[in-house]
Amino acid sequence: MSGIVGAVEERRVIKININGREYEFEIGVDIQPGTTLFELLRSRVGLRSVRDACLGDGSCGACTVLVDGDPVLSCMMLAADCHNRKVETVEGIAREGHPLIDAFAKNYAYQCGYEAPAFIVTAKALLDKNPNPSEEEIVEALSGIISRAGVYPAVISAVEDAAEALRKRGVS
Amino acid sequence: MSGVRALRSFKLVNAGSVDEAARILAEGNAWPLAGGTDIIHLLRFRVLPDGMYPDVLVNLKTISPSLEYINYQDGVLRIGALTKLSAISRDAAVKERFAALAAAAGSVGSPQIRNVATVGGDIAQFPRGWYFRKPDNRFHCLRKGGDTCYARTGDNRYHSIFGEINGCVAVNMSDVAPALVALDAEIVTNKRTIRAEDFWDVRVPRSTVLEQDEVMLEIRIPAPPRGARSSFEKFAVRKAIDFPIVNGAALIGDGLARIVLNAVYPVPYRARKAEEILRGRTDAINEELAEEAADAAVSGAVPLAYNGWKVQVARSIVKRLILPGTRR
Repeated sequence: MSGIVGAVEERRVIKININGREYEFEIGVDIQPGTTLFELLRSRVGLRSVRDACLGDGSCGACTVLVDGDPVLSCMMLAADCHNRKVETVEGIAREGHPLIDAFAKNYAYQCGYEAPAFIVTAKALLDKNPNPSEEEIVEALSGIISRAGVYPAVISAVEDAAEALRKRGVS
Repeated sequence: MSGVRALRSFKLVNAGSVDEAARILAEGNAWPLAGGTDIIHLLRFRVLPDGMYPDVLVNLKTISPSLEYINYQDGVLRIGALTKLSAISRDAAVKERFAALAAAAGSVGSPQIRNVATVGGDIAQFPRGWYFRKPDNRFHCLRKGGDTCYARTGDNRYHSIFGEINGCVAVNMSDVAPALVALDAEIVTNKRTIRAEDFWDVRVPRSTVLEQDEVMLEIRIPAPPRGARSSFEKFAVRKAIDFPIVNGAALIGDGLARIVLNAVYPVPYRARKAEEILRGRTDAINEELAEEAADAAVSGAVPLAYNGWKVQVARSIVKRLILPGTRR
């Protein structure tokens, strides 16, 4: 906690765990107070799966990442607000060998694939909390992401397949 | 490369206490920062004239003890101003006893927005009129200290159907606001307790009666009487992400009727004539009575050139609020 009246320009180090690795960024040096999580992940960390399709309007969902396990729009969140928090992108989820990756490929759950990372991270958050979601729950969880190609039905199948794979993995 | 613009620069102060936040805000050149989803939009798109932005954002999320909590006890629901909309929409006590609020909180934006946006931020959001929000202050409208309301002569399809306040016809877009008015909530700040009904205003550029150094702390809602049911309805082009075209909330039953529309007027609009028709007759609600009340709700409408259609939408919303489970 700070009591920094009169010292508003005081620098502060932001610590963020990104895909399992600890990072430190100094405000005023590495990033600015107004640097968004989106800019930090793309430009500072080089995670190009984090995308935008609405120019930062908050309406497309393509920049979705997980913060402490919850899907958020990285373009609508300050990097400074991620201090001491855990951020996951599709790169980390793929490295874990999560069945969603395979399921998306097998179901052709993308056309250009631009928003596929957003679908996958959001579905991962859903499956972490709800291993056996109904179609309605899948649709609700993924409702904040726009697919211009309209791949929604294939995405639903992919999430169902991944859920089944995870359940089997749990049994074996 | 990405087309997302960097935010207009600011200094970020992490407030450790409510007093500290109030002290910095009192200096005048600062705004409070909660979830940030609304303020980030204003900073990214340079919506306001340059001189209207503050140099400092006071982060309220570092305040201790935290302003993020939901607590239902002794017939009163208390929600910290920084509570996320997703938490409110999922809370068992809120869903059971304050259904309108759970549904309203759950209908804001998208799941990703609700995981960040707070209830305090939702009800204090800046105007959403599209002339107001056009990037780079393209339209220096009344809400930014200008002398012209562009919506009066321009495209006003989504604007007020019940007239202006201080010349402005941009509507209040909050989903939570009508639920709070219907449930007769109070908003507690570091200075006073404000009835939800008196909380909104049309200022430059803000939407509430909050003073510069006033910090929202808590929303308090009394449990409705046992026989009363609260509900929320929203009409938007898309179910996910969209702001309302018209929304509404009601508390009906036990002789009581409170019906509130939003996105139809610059502040939440209480449909008093509809309430009068239902008052004392809530045991005898039927199609006919609902029609009568819905007609009364919009009887004061004075639509603009391009939004007469919203009157019919508002009427339908009122009818749905009165007759649960209907889709007319």
